[in-house]
Amino acid sequence: MSETTNITTKEKTVPERSREIPVIAPVVDIFENDDEMLLYADMPGVAKEDITVNIDNGELLISGVRRLPPSGTATREEFGDVEYRRIFSVHQTIDVEKVNAELKDGVLTLHLPKSEASKPRQIEIH
Amino acid sequence: MWTRTSDIDRMFGAMDLLRSRLNRLTTDDNRFYGRSPGWSATDGSPRTNFYDNGNQLELKAEVPGMSKEDLTIQIQGNYLEVSGTRKSDAPEGYKVHRTERETASFTRSFTLPSEVNVDKIDASLQNGILSLTLPKAEAAKPKQVSIA
Repeated sequence: MSETTNITTKEKTVPERSREIPVIAPVVDIFENDDEMLLYADMPGVAKEDITVNIDNGELLISGVRRLPPSGTATREEFGDVEYRRIFSVHQTIDVEKVNAELKDGVLTLHLPKSEASKPRQIEIH
Repeated sequence: MWTRTSDIDRMFGAMDLLRSRLNRLTTDDNRFYGRSPGWSATDGSPRTNFYDNGNQLELKAEVPGMSKEDLTIQIQGNYLEVSGTRKSDAPEGYKVHRTERETASFTRSFTLPSEVNVDKIDASLQNGILSLTLPKAEAAKPKQVSIA
């Protein structure tokens, strides 16, 4: 047996490596009132079907992938393909079933309603 | 076997891959600041791409949160000016936690590299990206020259 027996077969390409696109956090505005939390995130160029909103275990993940259609020679390029991704902690009082998301003009709007039990309540004295 | 450089390269390649996977798992939003990811008016204007397709010029600009009515495009000769205003989305009666998205107006002007056919300019707005298609004037289009 020769010294140079290969233990593993050699692969010329590394599998599962897709072209990586930069990940950046979108800028957001967050508001709150007694009924809901309201979040706006700027995601210019992201189509509706490329947006993911995921709430799991007190964590809200928003992600959107922008792939610009190919054009001619770029003479000036200040933005490109990107994944907007950001994770927030959300309070357990958010009613996950009733979360509502919409996308307009490249801005993602998320309404995160608070559950009934967590809303402030006036207690009357009898 | 392991002493061969290609194997060592592969091993490091695998480690790099693992590290980038782990980085993705522990995404921390604070890591990204400093790259100014959003639309920003502090440096004057939205980010813009310019393309030259031979027969036409194309402009794309990030204008999230702006509608058709908020944008003005003017052209004079080869001088193009794009201006707009972003209104605040802040609702009434809400407590503010974060306001990273700026509200301001901008004006950005460009000198086009060639004359364009002003009547055939097409502007559209989709998902917060303004696209302008500017067909070149006949004189500026590329022409094939045949050898006599």
